[in-house]
Amino acid sequence: MAEPKTKYDRQLRIWGEQGQAALEKASICLLNCGPTGSETLKNLVLGGIGSITVIDGSKVEAGDLGNNFMLDESSIGQSKAKCVCAFLQELNDAVKAKFVEESPEALIETNPSLFSQFTLVIATQLVEASVVKLDRICRRGNVMLIFARSYGLTGLVRISLKEHNVVESKPDHFLDDLRLNNPWPELKQFAETIDLNVTDLVAHKHTPYVVILVKMAVEWAERHGGCLPSTREEKKEFKEFLKSKTIALDEDNYKEAIEASFKVSTPRGISSNLRQIIDDSAAEVDSTSSDFWVMVAALKVEFIANEGDGEAPLEGSIPDMTSLTELVTGFVISSAVNLSRTLLLSSYDSETIVLLYTYKTDHCQLSCRHYVNLQKIYQAKAEADFLVVEQRVRNILKRIGRDLDAISKTNIKSFCRNARKLTVCRYRLIEDEFNSPILPELLKLLTDEDYSVAVGFYILLRAVDRFATNYNRFPGLFNG
Amino acid sequence: MDAEQQLQAIKQAKVLMVGAGGIGCELLKTLALSSFQDIHIIDMDTIEVSNLNRQFLFRQSHVGQSKAKVARDAVLRFKPHINITAHHANVKDPEFNVDFYKQFNIVLSGLDNLDARRHVNRLCLAADIPLVESGTTGFLGQVTVHMKGKTECYECQPKPTPKTYPVCTITSTPSKDQFEGGGGGVSLPLARNFSLPLARNLLTGTISLSCLVHPCLSFSHLCTPVLGCFILFVHCIVWAKDLLFSKLFGDKDQENDLNVCSNNATSSSEHAEDVFKHILDEDIEQYGRRIYDHVFGYNIEVALANEEAWKNRNRPKPTYSSDILPDKLIQQIGNLDNGATDDPSSVSAMGSLGLKNPRDIWNLEENTRIFLEALKLFFGKREKEIGNLTFDKDDQLAVEFVTAAANIRAASFGIPLHSLFEAKGIAGNIVHAVATTNAIIAGLIVIEAIKVLLCDTNSYRMTYCLQHPSRKMLLMPVEPFEPNKSCYVCSETPLSLQVNTHRSTLRDFVEKIVKGKLRMDFPLIMHGSALLYEVGDDLEEDMAANYAANLHKVLSELPSPVTSGTVLTVEDLQQELSCNINIKHREEFDEENEPDGMLLFGWTQAPPMNMDNSLPV
Repeated sequence: MAEPKTKYDRQLRIWGEQGQAALEKASICLLNCGPTGSETLKNLVLGGIGSITVIDGSKVEAGDLGNNFMLDESSIGQSKAKCVCAFLQELNDAVKAKFVEESPEALIETNPSLFSQFTLVIATQLVEASVVKLDRICRRGNVMLIFARSYGLTGLVRISLKEHNVVESKPDHFLDDLRLNNPWPELKQFAETIDLNVTDLVAHKHTPYVVILVKMAVEWAERHGGCLPSTREEKKEFKEFLKSKTIALDEDNYKEAIEASFKVSTPRGISSNLRQIIDDSAAEVDSTSSDFWVMVAALKVEFIANEGDGEAPLEGSIPDMTSLTELVTGFVISSAVNLSRTLLLSSYDSETIVLLYTYKTDHCQLSCRHYVNLQKIYQAKAEADFLVVEQRVRNILKRIGRDLDAISKTNIKSFCRNARKLTVCRYRLIEDEFNSPILPELLKLLTDEDYSVAVGFYILLRAVDRFATNYNRFPGLFNG
Repeated sequence: MDAEQQLQAIKQAKVLMVGAGGIGCELLKTLALSSFQDIHIIDMDTIEVSNLNRQFLFRQSHVGQSKAKVARDAVLRFKPHINITAHHANVKDPEFNVDFYKQFNIVLSGLDNLDARRHVNRLCLAADIPLVESGTTGFLGQVTVHMKGKTECYECQPKPTPKTYPVCTITSTPSKDQFEGGGGGVSLPLARNFSLPLARNLLTGTISLSCLVHPCLSFSHLCTPVLGCFILFVHCIVWAKDLLFSKLFGDKDQENDLNVCSNNATSSSEHAEDVFKHILDEDIEQYGRRIYDHVFGYNIEVALANEEAWKNRNRPKPTYSSDILPDKLIQQIGNLDNGATDDPSSVSAMGSLGLKNPRDIWNLEENTRIFLEALKLFFGKREKEIGNLTFDKDDQLAVEFVTAAANIRAASFGIPLHSLFEAKGIAGNIVHAVATTNAIIAGLIVIEAIKVLLCDTNSYRMTYCLQHPSRKMLLMPVEPFEPNKSCYVCSETPLSLQVNTHRSTLRDFVEKIVKGKLRMDFPLIMHGSALLYEVGDDLEEDMAANYAANLHKVLSELPSPVTSGTVLTVEDLQQELSCNINIKHREEFDEENEPDGMLLFGWTQAPPMNMDNSLPV
């Protein structure tokens, strides 16, 4: 076959080859193959996970039929792990499927080292004591753990691992990285080449709002002893100042500038979130540090304090800017620009794109040219920032005795582009959660309309498990 | 809710499932495990390799077999004592009429296209059977409950029209006429309202170029009349697929403007329509080169001859095969002569040329080789299919041919070339899909279905499954909307039509309104008790002739004249849909803004694109 990956075609389009490679490298262990566990593995096996090990000590009983689609009448009396494993293997022969016919609880007691070989352990329907032990074992072995419990239509999933670092965290709302509050020299220079006091209406209308804001902020600062608008009054005044510069009613670029004027006043420097990450003790790297922390270290003193002028590396992309008279054309242009931006990110030549959008009207061309120039300035700065960070990363790698090329350019680039959004998740040990729940947090969530139901179930499910541990039976079992 | 009562309701329910794909497989499994006893499945599709990453009831060995039947057998293996009836058929077949629907308590839909969804919606309304509708794309999904009179129907809110590609042939002066893409004219202001945020989402969320298809589309569709021709790779793909591929391998007689010549170039006999005909005994490669030179060379020259058109544009470069590939292709291994045992479906030009990675971007020479080799393979190995082929994204050779042709065209217009993987995504309109989302959505369908069976109306929810948590939630349940009181599908509210009754013909009305907007397939039009028009196989000859004659008449001159104030009744018997249209005469229409020459009110224009319009299931 010319395309051996046809089977994964639809998902490769979601997570790309890197995602697929990560899946194919992973080795997963499932504890207890009831309906929840079986269903979970089904989805992973279909997607081409590297290997699976199914651990379950029970035999298939009549009651299992009809709630687990991997079992049929011929399975009765056989090892459940074996039957489920056989079904899963049938789903995808590229997956290495194994089974162990033993009780997970017993294995946790007798053979804890067994778990260190896996990338991820998925523990379903385990009793409290076993979960706590397993969690400690996994934490020690640096194995990820997912604990799942389900009853009817409710259930609970808990992830447990020491640390999870996210570079592309995709937060819900995030301000674009325009650096209007702290423009770098090239951006200022570019803004200087554009004259806002032109009388030509067309030119006036087609000045991107970023340029307007950079220039107006400079002008403002000159009149205000070098300070940018910061109080409410000043911000209002700044808006009025912008409004005074419009020469026609329909100047959307000025409207945009007014809307975005608060970006001039946002505090300079890095966010408290990023500050926390770079101040983390893990950023003191040595040869055992992960790539993530090596890059954080490069950011820390080396970049932010020096070339970065107190800021994280620039993201390098800019939002749409409607600076056209006709709404329709405006839409077309911003889509075009949006499109070209995406294409540019995939490293196409920007000139080609500009040529693609050679419009009939000069208006559009002007606006597009400004936009593309502006875009180039942002990209150039982002590229320069990246090169600095890359150099720092290599220096650190050398210092800690690792291979200079141990971290790829692509990864460093992605790290730089997302530097403002880095996220570090650390999970408490399940034992800590069980023994010392954070009561104020729970109380707060219980009174929150959005979360009260979920938190209610959490407490109930926890209570059920505790009850089962203490009385060795489930609540309600003797009520008929 | 009393568990016993719930179980009884489930056990007594008779369920119709339409679609046995991604959602369908999960749904059938979940229904069976939830104790449903009587399930009918309709699906016309057969199993393909690319289904296997999520449609877990199917195995490699089932490829080519009916999805409905294999799904039934697979579920009966673990749940042997329930009734599952599989229909390997099109849900639009007349056998699935309103009486067929009436035998069910509920209809669950996991379809993959708008047209079928609309059809099922209309029949459910006619039969007064509740419908649970669903769709997924990637990590996104949604489930809605449609119950006549209680919640909105599938068509209460404007739905996107199916993707239509503007076919931009650029063989002569690009002009407005050339951008007849297929989809009805999109009204610009409306289209603008919806598109920006969506286009932005799609663009910023892209992983592969395939996602770019959507914005390009609406975008070029929108701007063509305004700003002239935007030449994008998508156009090249559309050109290669819808024009070239179907001209060469599809129905020869179809109308096709591949050969459009500009007014100042008189077509010589060499370049007449039959240039695409394979002359008896002509060497296939010779034939391929002839086609190549015609479409990439001659046609471009003709286009260039019109100086005016290129004043503000990048001039394309004519390409001739002998410049790119002076020598004859060397007979390849695995080629025409020694492949008697080859399965025609595994024939691949990449294979015979030794190109392996579908993610590589071929250069012009490689594209030229693939073009010629693929053409040779079609004639050498799959000659029987020529004349009946339609482009299929899972047909390797077809994808290779289209990729190569699109790339050669792109090269001549200075557009970046793309890999086979990317081109396939664009050409096949591929929407990504994973098992997890389908499993979640199927579970939600069953939860809603149980509520419907228990008549627990107040608990119905419309649920969205998100890719990134919003307010810490991945599933967003919202209360269903009330029916849209002016929905022409589920309400009795009449529509009204402004039309010049002295100028517009019945045909204009049928094509632009009844089919184009109301999406009826087999319309019947009545004025009071007088039948003006009807479609069907079983018409009397004289009636058919009457109707044909009526089509040419302007509305006011029909046997039963349609004038201002007339109420027309339009029906589709297969869809069981009927609606009244109040006619209002209007003299003038603006050609630019009202190109149809008539305006329909009470009907909402669909936006030209939306991410859910081709949900894979």
